[in-house]
Amino acid sequence: MEYPIWQLTTLAGGFWIAFIAVVHVYVAHFAVGGGLFLVLTEHKAVREDSPAILAYLQKHTLFFLLLSMVFGGLTGVGIWFSIALISPQATSMLIHTFVFGWATEWVCFLGEIIALLVYFYAFARMARRDHMIVGWLYFIFAWLSLFFITGIIDFMLAPGKWLETGNFWDGFFNPVFWPSVTLRTFLAFTFAGLFGFVTAIRIPDATARLSMVRSCSLWTALPFVFVLAAGWWYVHSFPPYAYEMVMFKIQKLGFFVPGFLVFGAVIMLGGLFMAFKMPAAVTKPTAYVLLVIGLCYMGCFEFSREAARKPYIINGYMYSNSILPSQTAAINARGVLRTAKWVTNKVVTKENEMDAGREIFQLECASCHSIGGPLNDILPKTLKFSVFGMDSELNGQGKLVRYMPPFVGTVNERWALARYIVDDLHAGNTHLEDGPAQTPQNLPAVVPKKENDDYVLLAWNNLGMHCISDSDPFWILLPPANDLIAQLIKRGDGPEIITSGVEISYAVESGFENPAEQVTFWDHAQSLFRLEKPLPVNVGVSGNKVTGIMKPTPGGEAFEASLVPVVPYPDDGSFNPYPLFTVTAKDSATGKVLATTRCVAPTSTEMGCKNCHGGTWRVAGVAGFTGETSVDVLAVHDRINKTTLLADARAGKPRLCQSCHRDPVLGAKGKEGVISFPAAIHGWHANYLTGRDENVCYRCHPAKNTGSTGCLRGVHTGVGLTCIKCHGTLEDHALSLLKYEKNRGIVSAEKLMQGLDSRVVASKEAINPRDAWVNEPDCLNCHVAFEKPAAREISGFNTWTAGAAELFRVRTDDMGVRCEACHGSTHANYPATNIYGKNRDNIPPLQYQGNSLPIGSNRHCGVCHTQPMSDEGHHPNMTGMFRNARLISKEEMK
Amino acid sequence: MDPTQLIPATDPISVPWMWFEGLDLVTFVAHLLFMNVMFGGSIIALLSLRAKKRGGVSPVPEELSARLPTLLALTVNLGVAPLLFIQVLYGHFLYTSTILMAVFWLSVILLVILAYYLLYIYDFKYRALEGRRGLILGLSVALLFCVSFIFSNAMTMMIVPATWAAYFGNAQGTLLNLSDPTLIPRYLHFVLAALAVGGLFIAFLGYGKIRNGNEGEELLTSGLRWFTHATLAQFVIGTWFLLSLKRDVLLAFMGDNVMETAVFLGSLAVSLVALYAGFTRRVVLAVGATVATVFLMAVMRAMLRLEYLAPYFHPSNLELHPQYGPLWLFGIVLGVGLVLVVYMLKLYLRANKGA
Repeated sequence: MEYPIWQLTTLAGGFWIAFIAVVHVYVAHFAVGGGLFLVLTEHKAVREDSPAILAYLQKHTLFFLLLSMVFGGLTGVGIWFSIALISPQATSMLIHTFVFGWATEWVCFLGEIIALLVYFYAFARMARRDHMIVGWLYFIFAWLSLFFITGIIDFMLAPGKWLETGNFWDGFFNPVFWPSVTLRTFLAFTFAGLFGFVTAIRIPDATARLSMVRSCSLWTALPFVFVLAAGWWYVHSFPPYAYEMVMFKIQKLGFFVPGFLVFGAVIMLGGLFMAFKMPAAVTKPTAYVLLVIGLCYMGCFEFSREAARKPYIINGYMYSNSILPSQTAAINARGVLRTAKWVTNKVVTKENEMDAGREIFQLECASCHSIGGPLNDILPKTLKFSVFGMDSELNGQGKLVRYMPPFVGTVNERWALARYIVDDLHAGNTHLEDGPAQTPQNLPAVVPKKENDDYVLLAWNNLGMHCISDSDPFWILLPPANDLIAQLIKRGDGPEIITSGVEISYAVESGFENPAEQVTFWDHAQSLFRLEKPLPVNVGVSGNKVTGIMKPTPGGEAFEASLVPVVPYPDDGSFNPYPLFTVTAKDSATGKVLATTRCVAPTSTEMGCKNCHGGTWRVAGVAGFTGETSVDVLAVHDRINKTTLLADARAGKPRLCQSCHRDPVLGAKGKEGVISFPAAIHGWHANYLTGRDENVCYRCHPAKNTGSTGCLRGVHTGVGLTCIKCHGTLEDHALSLLKYEKNRGIVSAEKLMQGLDSRVVASKEAINPRDAWVNEPDCLNCHVAFEKPAAREISGFNTWTAGAAELFRVRTDDMGVRCEACHGSTHANYPATNIYGKNRDNIPPLQYQGNSLPIGSNRHCGVCHTQPMSDEGHHPNMTGMFRNARLISKEEMK
Repeated sequence: MDPTQLIPATDPISVPWMWFEGLDLVTFVAHLLFMNVMFGGSIIALLSLRAKKRGGVSPVPEELSARLPTLLALTVNLGVAPLLFIQVLYGHFLYTSTILMAVFWLSVILLVILAYYLLYIYDFKYRALEGRRGLILGLSVALLFCVSFIFSNAMTMMIVPATWAAYFGNAQGTLLNLSDPTLIPRYLHFVLAALAVGGLFIAFLGYGKIRNGNEGEELLTSGLRWFTHATLAQFVIGTWFLLSLKRDVLLAFMGDNVMETAVFLGSLAVSLVALYAGFTRRVVLAVGATVATVFLMAVMRAMLRLEYLAPYFHPSNLELHPQYGPLWLFGIVLGVGLVLVVYMLKLYLRANKGA
């Protein structure tokens, strides 16, 4: 925020710090351990009275001098230069806090180089005893410089009490200090051995050579035991999240921690291997290879340590991009561009959006992410995002997946950053474009003539919106499974609901008979649903096909065909989410047709996962999952939850989400302790989509009528109400589900709730918990006593049905007629407007009363009653005229 | 663009600011002396490689060869401390200027590493190199010229916030402070100073040899010649430097500010003493007067910095959150450290005598 930014692209992400620091630290540890090596080797030479070893030592000292003093010393200064260039705010903070710690380290550095210069230059001249004193002084100074710098470095990982006290000693003697000093000391001894090999293998005298090489083996291997112990101590002193990251190998650590362990084992074994008497052709290359492996080992250690600190550069105090957590609220309000000093764009406008995005990238992202470079290259990581997807990612960043800091800035700034990344860096991510899109056609929807005046057959789909995830080779959350329901009423003075002696059959319209040709569900159903045998082709999970005979409902008042496996893909390759079913009632005994009607079975694959998970639509440019989208969903799930779903799917074993996540809609019990599917999916994604209106629901649910399904299409949509009126905003919706899970003892629910705030309800505490599919908002929340709602502003959110039996889609009126029989499906209540033909959903009322209103509206009791009626027998307030006349034509109002 | 909008906020300090200014001054002077000897000595050695004197080659190149790498080591080490202390007081200015010239600044590390290794090659392979000594040493010297130029840019750019808006035309880290009228005279002034002090060091080596009964006349004479000639040239370049300063700063040193004028006049006075000592071959006096000159000039440099920054900042603005414990730590360790350093040098000298 405060400093200008050295604008790097390929070499952004901290490259210069990483490169300089890793090579420095490797040599620096050698400079420490090697100091002890020098003086102990001198003791050895004296003890064994070996001029050859002494001669070796003098050569090794020169090597030591040239490497540690020149390269080691200057790269140390190089770290300092590079951190002030790339992370000046953090550097300033460290310098001001620890100046005298650094000054003390400098004294040791001075002592070190004087000692080393004296040790080298006076090697031949100085009395042995004096020379060894100088050697010991070198080692003491060197070790002390390690001591002092470690306090400062590890402060960054674990500031400990300093966060409260601001006290130098609290910061210096932080929780990780002693384990770190111990670990690094023993690492230093191991490296002394590794570097020692390089010079030892050149000793001309064979006896001396073998003796020194064996000595180096001891130096390499023996400290290793202590490295492991100290390492264990070190990791167990980490702050909680850092510890978690290392132990569960979150993100980068998944590579560097195992790398550290593997390379370490190779070094130890390699060191022991060198102890065997072998020809130079073997020892020479081995020594160099071990040296390189040592560098890789050090690199893994340093990268692990840096990664474990994420999202902070100073843990708990300053994020990696130099923003302070304490500042984020102010910056979110004011804007990051207005807060930063060295930017040209202070406010995002249409004209400067991309350039503002570029500046925001440099401010908030470039400290860790290169553009096309070796460190955390942002390009592959954002290849799957549209601008919306990128913006959503930024919205949720750092809330649930915590190794990144949150995006800080206004909503416009967040969008500008998303645009820069997708439209500039990725030139629009055109591989995500869908190609030519089918437009919804006005499809014929023939209204059957009444067979006779004796029977009324009403049929409907229980849900106005049913979705399928045709991601079958990888996973599934809802199979092809529509529930068709019908009630047969015999007209008369006292109309009768017929529940026996009749056969109600159903048949899908032509073109939809062969769903197995259109989706791969049947290839994978056995694995997905863990069935004993594969599911027969075109047979649904309940045994029903797209044509068949309905069965009585459990309550007995109606007939149903459950889980009918129809898919929105007719044979012509198009997308049609409203296949029509013809329902026919026949006398069981005589086979005579009593009545016929038609209804849609809404079923759509326009599920918007691809908005954030990559891929395009698979079918007609408007719907269906590609493998790319399906794979990414699993890949993200695996990365965050340490599951193996993608590998399992690739091995031919795709899963049903609800095999782990309980879900009332499928009657799935899931696994013990795992959060329910609806709570998980809404709870997780709500964190990435805050502060939105109903358009965010449309990103996943195919509800908007400018899409290719438009399933939010009933009378309430007609009068301008949206999802939010009954279901709350996404945050409210998620919170209600999460609360129920939390009350059930599910630990993860709490974490998902933390970042969410209620919006249509005054507070989070005021939200009433609900179980999905069972506790739902009800009509009577707004239509109190079946009346017109008291005001437009009242909300239907936060009062739930007590259980499944109270649901609108299941209830009957006082006469035993199902609510949906007269009013149509949820979200498509009569009069509905369908984008595939205005009246496609309204066939039963058109058929029986010539209009698209609820059955019996405007006192059309005559649909079923042969006598005139005046009582409100079915439910209160049923005898008035339809209020929203503007939704239908004048003729229909009669 | 109003420069004050660009100046970064900084952090509190733990002891009163004069501590840092004082520690900076003392350690910077030590750094300067070693740097001048190393840099000046290298240039003189390079130029002396060609000199044919009295039936032979100049002894300077070989005499210095073994010392140059060590001098560079100590120069680097002694540069760490002042860089540390000025970051505490002026970090928000220094980091800014170094970021604006980041590519050059960071390249200093590589340039010094190369210069350093070249000096070791020049040292250890002196005999073997023969005719190619000039190439090796010349490369090293060229690198050091670059390094010092980069430093001059960083240190001048940090005190002229009014030029920082150039960042908005170039954020790639390749800006320099070339439009500043003080840059070139300042740079030349420091290079000449290196030649002068380097020459004096060579004279001192000669002086030491003569006192021990060895041959040292050539070193003494040529060293003093470099010293006096460079110091004379300094008066010209120094005047240029002075005149290139902003008017109000120039006047501050010329009478408007009592302290600053006193320091200036004092440094002129001791430099004249040094010059006199140089001409009259009084090496010890020359050394003493030169060290005093360098010290006073360093004070003047610090005052110059404060003058240029005056419209924007003064170290007394810094917030103080007192914590003296760490200063004690440093003081004690410094004391013990210096004692041990002296001890090790005594052992070294004892070894030399014994040999």
